[in-house]
Amino acid sequence: MAAGPTGGKGGAHAAWVMNLLTDLAFNLLIFFVVCASSAQEQKGKPQQVPSTQSENKPNEVKPQNVEVSITRTAVSLNGADVPLPQLKAKLAALLANKTRPEDKIVEVKSAKDTPYSMWIRVTGAIEEAGGVVALQVEVDKDVVVK
Amino acid sequence: MKFKRRNLEIVPPFVGMADIVFNLVLFFLILAKMQDESQIKWEPAHGAGAKPVVKARVSLTVDIDNKVYLNGKQVGLMNLTSLVASELGDTPPGERTVLLKIHKDTLAATFEDLIAKVSEAGGEMVHVIEDEQPP
Repeated sequence: MAAGPTGGKGGAHAAWVMNLLTDLAFNLLIFFVVCASSAQEQKGKPQQVPSTQSENKPNEVKPQNVEVSITRTAVSLNGADVPLPQLKAKLAALLANKTRPEDKIVEVKSAKDTPYSMWIRVTGAIEEAGGVVALQVEVDKDVVVK
Repeated sequence: MKFKRRNLEIVPPFVGMADIVFNLVLFFLILAKMQDESQIKWEPAHGAGAKPVVKARVSLTVDIDNKVYLNGKQVGLMNLTSLVASELGDTPPGERTVLLKIHKDTLAATFEDLIAKVSEAGGEMVHVIEDEQPP
């Protein structure tokens, strides 16, 4: 660390200034290295899920929604097995003539042993097809995912 | 013999002190960065539609051993709703982002429960994933 002399000859003063500048340059270098490493970009898929505490209306008639079931290795659309690469196209065809947002809800039911990697692929395909993901959880609560 | 008295001017080394302060700031910056979640082992799932995300106030991680961490601290699933709600506080909608860092092999029995609880707490979820590699 540079300690400042209060006087001295020109050569000593120049050396002191150089010392300071080197310190400054080094600190700035470290600062930018830290900033660059902390600014590593993460990528994510947003999901807006309204609170499930909202009141349920028991007499409300639910529209007939598309159902997607996921198991560890397979996906089925309204009960029929569908290969994952074809899911997006088939769903898009089903949702094409639906205009209201509540009709575009796709109920997703996952088996307990479904891995997250499978689930995220299926929900990604549903969203790309224009569907709104709603989780069908075991407590009979529907969680709507936009 | 007569000595001439020298005037010694004592000047505090302000420049040096500023250097120390700056180095300390950097030290604590690195420390804060290191202690967050770097010890938690998880692998992101691959999927389409990933967008760059800003840093969120709340981060939930499920590691390879199926343990759940809230902002780097291990928590149970039982009281997750209240914990997330208290972390989010009165934050207005649009800023209630909850980062979900779920290990790719986590089973639905865990992650669906977690998603439902974050939803109950009023969190706006962002699934941290990696872009799918083209075949």
